[in-house]
Amino acid sequence: MRLAETLRSSTFKFALVAIGLFGAIVFILFTYVYLSTASYVRGRADRAIATEQAILQRAYDQGGRGDLTATIQQRISDEHFQNSVYLLADPSFAVIAGNLKAWPPALGSGGWQDFRVQEWKPDAANRPLLRGIVKTLPGGEHLLVGRDIEDLDAFARHIKVALISGIGLVFVLAGVAGVMVTRRTVGRIEAINATSRAIMQSGLDKRIPLRGTEDEWDQVAKNLNLMLDRIEILMQEVRQVTDNVAHDLRTPLARMRGRLEKAHHRSRDSENDQALIDDTIANLDAVLRIFSSITRIAQIEANVQRAAFRTVNIAEVMNEIVELYDAAAEERGIRLRCVGDERVLVTGDRDLIFDAVANLVDNAIKHGRAPGQVTVEVAEGGDGGAIVSVADDGPGIPAAEYPNVFKRFYRLERSRRAPGNGLGLSLVAAVARLHGARVEMKDNLPGLKVRLLFPANLASALQEGTRQGANAGEHKALFIAQ
Amino acid sequence: MRAGRRQILVVEDDQETAGQLVESFTIHGYQVNLAANGNDALSLGASGDYAVITIDRMLPDIDGITVMQRLREQGIAAPILIISALGEIDERVRGLRAGGDDYLTKPFSFVELLARVEALSRRSDTVIRETLLRVGDLEMDLVSRAVSRRGRQVSLLPREFQLLEYLVRNQGHVVSRAMLLQHVWDLHFDPTTNIIDVYVGRVRRKVDDQQAYPLIHTIRGVGYCLRAPG
Repeated sequence: MRLAETLRSSTFKFALVAIGLFGAIVFILFTYVYLSTASYVRGRADRAIATEQAILQRAYDQGGRGDLTATIQQRISDEHFQNSVYLLADPSFAVIAGNLKAWPPALGSGGWQDFRVQEWKPDAANRPLLRGIVKTLPGGEHLLVGRDIEDLDAFARHIKVALISGIGLVFVLAGVAGVMVTRRTVGRIEAINATSRAIMQSGLDKRIPLRGTEDEWDQVAKNLNLMLDRIEILMQEVRQVTDNVAHDLRTPLARMRGRLEKAHHRSRDSENDQALIDDTIANLDAVLRIFSSITRIAQIEANVQRAAFRTVNIAEVMNEIVELYDAAAEERGIRLRCVGDERVLVTGDRDLIFDAVANLVDNAIKHGRAPGQVTVEVAEGGDGGAIVSVADDGPGIPAAEYPNVFKRFYRLERSRRAPGNGLGLSLVAAVARLHGARVEMKDNLPGLKVRLLFPANLASALQEGTRQGANAGEHKALFIAQ
Repeated sequence: MRAGRRQILVVEDDQETAGQLVESFTIHGYQVNLAANGNDALSLGASGDYAVITIDRMLPDIDGITVMQRLREQGIAAPILIISALGEIDERVRGLRAGGDDYLTKPFSFVELLARVEALSRRSDTVIRETLLRVGDLEMDLVSRAVSRRGRQVSLLPREFQLLEYLVRNQGHVVSRAMLLQHVWDLHFDPTTNIIDVYVGRVRRKVDDQQAYPLIHTIRGVGYCLRAPG
């Protein structure tokens, strides 16, 4: 990644703000340290000078110029005072006593002074800094008491240099850290961006690489990958359904087109034409029914219908279904009956439950043994829910096919020629999911038994369903093959 | 029936569909007014005395259901049939279907539309209060729930009785499978199977077998019609 890109990134800008703030705080702290150290050091020197000045002042007050001169001479010769500066001059600034040969011209006539003189320690590398206090004595003499504070000054200067370079170092290190953090962050984002671009360009099979650090970036990448998985599955399903729809619609449409084309080249014959028109309308109706079944299932799956949920006595609905299919069963020599409890309540949509179970009964009559029997059973579940089962005594279906039969347009090989469009059980599955119900299939020995298990508490069942759906893919979670 | 009651207002924005509807309704003896948008529908609806008003759900300006509500607010009592291309997905129409006048999903066969329009236009002026219904040699006693033809008892299950009653009440008119499901079973969906045909077939066997003439006639592609010959 280029440096310019790093510097442009928002992470780096954020780092800069942080560095600026941190730097300002460090600067204030260091300035405070420097100022208080410097003033402490200077204060100590000043106090020592002031004390010395007071002693000399007293000598002058008690013994006059003579005593003062003597004291000064004594101090100069004392090794102990070698860093002290003493100078006594008469009113015309001619030197009377002291360890400077002449009154320094830079020196004013009174108060605290910082100054340097040529003659003080001439062998030192730099001319040392002196500090002193000048007082005019009652007799008109000028007294300078001072000290060589070069060491103290150097100490303060060192501190200053240390602090300034410290601040510099802090800024440099923070800047480097900022660039590194930015590069890392931008790098992870760039990985996600690159994957997104790859997906846009080539397809949904790309995934964001994980670093295995389990950090928040890995979490983001993992969730995005899961999302991509889900989208890919949905896309596959859509493609599958589109293919099936195309196939299922193309067949009758092609047939219709062929017949119409043949009729077009034929001379008009009202009887044949009438039959053709009737056939074509019937075929178109079949196509339209497939369309409406698909949209109906899609709508149920979109869960938009729960607003219409009421308390439904499911036993009553089952009796109505049995009554409706009684004639159809009779025609096939099948004995259709409803057994079980008289009053079992569920929360749901009567029309949809009716449609779903009617589909099961329809299947049982169509694919069951003839003559034979189909039994619809309603019972209260152990947990307060409801169980509806539809059982026939026909050939059943192999257990391996249980999960497949719920797929849209899926049809067992042997029933391909039977009427139907392979959408019935998809509708059952969609209705079941809308109601938080489970669909179970099992061998009725002989035959097939399909059970719908409605939950006692719709709300919690739906929540559970959503959780399972999020983890395992919604379709599979609802079907248990036994 | 007054001449004015055969007037019908069609609210449809698609030109071809509108043309088909106008033509077909005219052939069947209706005087048709056409409104191509919601505002026209409101002004036309207020100015005429219609036997039935059909409104497309999707209009270029005002939603079909809103048009219906506004007409009702203006005191228009004519039965209204909403036509929707959204089908089951149209939740508001679904609500209407349960309590409103009537509802039809696009695409529909014109015969189905006509059957529904006729049923709606009859609804307001024929309130049958008799307890004894007669068609040809068929007699239905609504109190004792007895059915007979030429005095010979026909035994029907309760639901079969309801189905026959609905056919008798609409005698001479086409009744679609969806209408039967709606009025006899109170079901508002189109079963993809031929279950209604099988059911009607059984009723027909009980009612028409070994009789002088059949009463229940199949209308191909639509449904059934109960009528006595002549």
